[in-house]
Amino acid sequence: MALDLSGLASLGAPRQRSIARFPWHLALFVLAISGLGLWNLASAARGSHVDIWITQGTWMAVGLGVALAVSLVDYRLFRQGAWIFYGVVVVLLLLVLWKGRVIMGARRWLSFGPVNFQPSELAKIAVILALARWFSSDRESDPRRGPRGLAGLVVPGAIVLVPAVLVQKQPDLGTALITVAVGATMILFAGVRWKTLVVLATAVVLAAGAVWPHLKPYQRKRVETFLNPEGDVLGAGYHATQSMIAVGSGQGFGKGWGQGTQTLLSFLPEQHTDFIFSVWAEEHGFAGALLLLGLYFALVGSGVTIAMNARDRFGQFVAVGATALVFWHAFVNMGMVTGVMPVVGVTLPLMSYGGTSVLVVLAVLAMLANVGTKRFAN
Amino acid sequence: MALTTGSPRGDGHRRLIVMAGVAALAFLVLLSRLYHLQVLRGEEFKGKAEENFVKELRVLADRGLVLDRNRKVLVDSRPSYDVVLIPYFCGKACDDVVGRLSALLSLTFDEEQRVREHLRTARGLVRFRPFTVKVDISRDELDVVEANRIELSGAVDVLPTPHRSYRHGVWASHLLGYMNEVGPDELERMNAELAKAGGDAQPYQPRDFVGRRGLERRFERELRGVDGTQRVVVDARGNAKRDSELIPEDQRFEPSYPGNNLVLSLDWRLQEFAEKTFPATAGSVLAMDARTGFLLALVDRPAVDPNKLAGRITRAELAEIRADPLQPELFRAIQQHYHPGSTFKVVTAIAALEEGALKPGGSVFCPGRYTLGGHTWRCDKETGHGHVDLEHALGASCDVFFYALGDRMGTDKIARWGAALGLGKPTGLDLPGEIPGVMPDEAWHDARLPGGHQHGMSLNISIGQGDVNVTPLQQLVLYGALATGKVWRPQAVLRVEDPKGEVVREFAPEVRSTLPVKPETRDAVMKGLLAAVNQPFGTAYGLRSREYVMAGKTGTAQVVKLGAKRLKAWQIDYFHRDHAWFVAFAPAEDPEIVVVVLNEHSGFGASNAAPTAAAVIRKWLELQEEDARAREDARRPSAEPPAPVPAPSAPVPPGRPEKPARAAAQAAPGGSRGA
Repeated sequence: MALDLSGLASLGAPRQRSIARFPWHLALFVLAISGLGLWNLASAARGSHVDIWITQGTWMAVGLGVALAVSLVDYRLFRQGAWIFYGVVVVLLLLVLWKGRVIMGARRWLSFGPVNFQPSELAKIAVILALARWFSSDRESDPRRGPRGLAGLVVPGAIVLVPAVLVQKQPDLGTALITVAVGATMILFAGVRWKTLVVLATAVVLAAGAVWPHLKPYQRKRVETFLNPEGDVLGAGYHATQSMIAVGSGQGFGKGWGQGTQTLLSFLPEQHTDFIFSVWAEEHGFAGALLLLGLYFALVGSGVTIAMNARDRFGQFVAVGATALVFWHAFVNMGMVTGVMPVVGVTLPLMSYGGTSVLVVLAVLAMLANVGTKRFAN
Repeated sequence: MALTTGSPRGDGHRRLIVMAGVAALAFLVLLSRLYHLQVLRGEEFKGKAEENFVKELRVLADRGLVLDRNRKVLVDSRPSYDVVLIPYFCGKACDDVVGRLSALLSLTFDEEQRVREHLRTARGLVRFRPFTVKVDISRDELDVVEANRIELSGAVDVLPTPHRSYRHGVWASHLLGYMNEVGPDELERMNAELAKAGGDAQPYQPRDFVGRRGLERRFERELRGVDGTQRVVVDARGNAKRDSELIPEDQRFEPSYPGNNLVLSLDWRLQEFAEKTFPATAGSVLAMDARTGFLLALVDRPAVDPNKLAGRITRAELAEIRADPLQPELFRAIQQHYHPGSTFKVVTAIAALEEGALKPGGSVFCPGRYTLGGHTWRCDKETGHGHVDLEHALGASCDVFFYALGDRMGTDKIARWGAALGLGKPTGLDLPGEIPGVMPDEAWHDARLPGGHQHGMSLNISIGQGDVNVTPLQQLVLYGALATGKVWRPQAVLRVEDPKGEVVREFAPEVRSTLPVKPETRDAVMKGLLAAVNQPFGTAYGLRSREYVMAGKTGTAQVVKLGAKRLKAWQIDYFHRDHAWFVAFAPAEDPEIVVVVLNEHSGFGASNAAPTAAAVIRKWLELQEEDARAREDARRPSAEPPAPVPAPSAPVPPGRPEKPARAAAQAAPGGSRGA
């Protein structure tokens, strides 16, 4: 997917004064989190997978290159290509279901020669671009148009749900939920009538009741475990319990880099991917967790500021979508690790190990920076 | 697309501010959650993290020794080499490994099937746990296993575990008791008791061995040591790690402390002699120090080898023991009822003299039978004893004399004196499971028999039949009282010592009561007991000795009521034969030792019990002299090299170290069991 975006990027040309307008604070936060992420991975991976922090560093370097390209292109190109990109992603998602590689019980990967990637990660970008495109159309952006009713939600709803359902089919509940959450945030930003919201909320509750029997046993187990983690300490509750022990035992200032016993002695499965935050919290304590929380909040805050100052409606929606993506990933992941959310496979942006995740997050943040660069001149 | 065509900026800004607010709130939730986990509950989770990686290995304490009065080791611990198999490590090759093991250890078909069954059924974590293939293999088998280590793969291991060793097998095993694994319910109960008792006793853990029966059970708390702890760092898969710096140095190892030792009053030289002299299949030989009430020997047969009962017994063997009509698990000396037979006549005599039913010097004519209300009671001697006084009646064991006394007194007066001499209640030996025996009075019969008490019953009771029941230990205490005038509480433990030999607790002789009779009465009875051994008419005249004077009484306890004609022992089925009793003490003028011999189903007391008793008494008196000489030699400073001192203990079986084999397993890695 990196190839796709860089292809687009080469079409644009850098503009005058863009360097001066580039949101450098955003870049600073991104680099800070990425640096802490690498440092943390080097600790988390001691022993079993020594060199993953190097791999991650490589991916970050590649990602930063991609991000540079993405941030310099005129983002109106994204608007033009939004539907095509969306269509390609939906096709890839269908392809995954048809002939994807099965890893650990889920069919998530597509192989092109030596390159393996997860189209579900692209789905998040596709939904952000497609929704931004939809809401910036002439009809939708008519100032006389009030908040949307049910009828106005059919198309944007479909834009979100088609890829989300396909992703959930793989199955990948975490990505599907994030896609829906990001889409919902953008739709809410566009404006929805209160009455419609109440009706939808009721419908969602009813649907949840209807869907429950159709969930996979492991998914049901996770929700049950979330509601009562002590009920099954060694089984499905193991992750939740061990990660809470890791976080809690970090206390005020942590055990120090490389000193986390929960990490060192492998009490946390997935410690370098979805549960990376527990490593950080164990080794750097409340102070370290506070720092990271602050950085993510600063990132979200920058995103909101960029959205406020966006030059046009498409850019504004892209900024909202990108910010929502970072926010939901960070909140769901840290919530899961600290036990306020159920265990779903959601990565912590720039901290979790994983090439696709790093590339997608950096690309999305680059789109945000791009919008920020073309903000209103004072 | 130009901004002018966009929605009113005010609306968008308002929503963005609301959304930023929601995001801030969400981060605040995370923040407070982190504060809760890390600051408020940090200590708690820190503890949990430590529990995660600190694995405590138990360093099993050595159980205390059991020694005889001369400090000869009777019970200690030795390493038992147990072969275990960890199914996970052999995987598909397990079948092959079991086949090899089976050949090397010559497993029986059942043993091999048990292992194969486990391999088939073990799932999950169970596959990582060592499964015991064979316990306590011999040195030769150990060598064979070690030599074939490579072919057997890493799945087979030999773990040395401390194991209780009863050096003399069945000898005195009822007294010593045995040990085996604690049951789950029992574990809970015992730990609750420990907690209630307070103190710092360690709770028991599953698979611990605990004392069963006898002294092992009674002195469980004293014998048990304090286990130590070794703390190691483990990862989530339970593998031990070398990073021990995670545990402070002073917490890595806490040593174990051995349990206290028991010093028994038994003299193993006498015990060994009695075991070898006593010819019986079933029965007891009890010897007590007449001056203190401490037991000197305790033979009780049949018995089960306590070494086997400690987890070395198959179901089939156990079933066989349980089905054995001789009941080898029964501690006859304190747990079985016997009719005292003629040995009871001393009670009748005392009752008659004290109640005035027999004038001093009074006599009775014995025609060979006694008739009352149309019923006839036979005397032992069919032709009759003629005119007999008390001395003659006790010595020759004339039944008619005592029928007459019983007839005159009635049941209640005999029962009152029987109770005064300690019958019908436990002797107070400090061991679990002692039964009280039965000393029936009229009310006892009224309550239990359809026709109530009949006067004829007092005649049966007068010669120790009817419903009088005693244990061999009660006989010992009763005759001890006749010998010394003191009703002793019999005891088997002299003291409890700590591992260094310092006395923790010493048991003093304990007189429960004094014999409540007039001196003349005791003299008269004593005369009869002397006559039994030392007068030509005495039933045990053949056993008199020139060196010392023994007093005693024979008894033949009827087991079933047989026809009018007496039969020879060989003419009767074993379980219908009479029990033979002999109770004696010596030297009569100043008794030092009291001995009871009960030979089950062997017929006459004079021929089948008395010789053992006499031999035991002689042996004891000889040992006393030997010891006195040895002490004399040791004290006398002599120019010449000291004469070879007789060993203070009986010869030790060759090849066994006299020094207690303090569990060599302690230091070995397998010696400690995982907590």
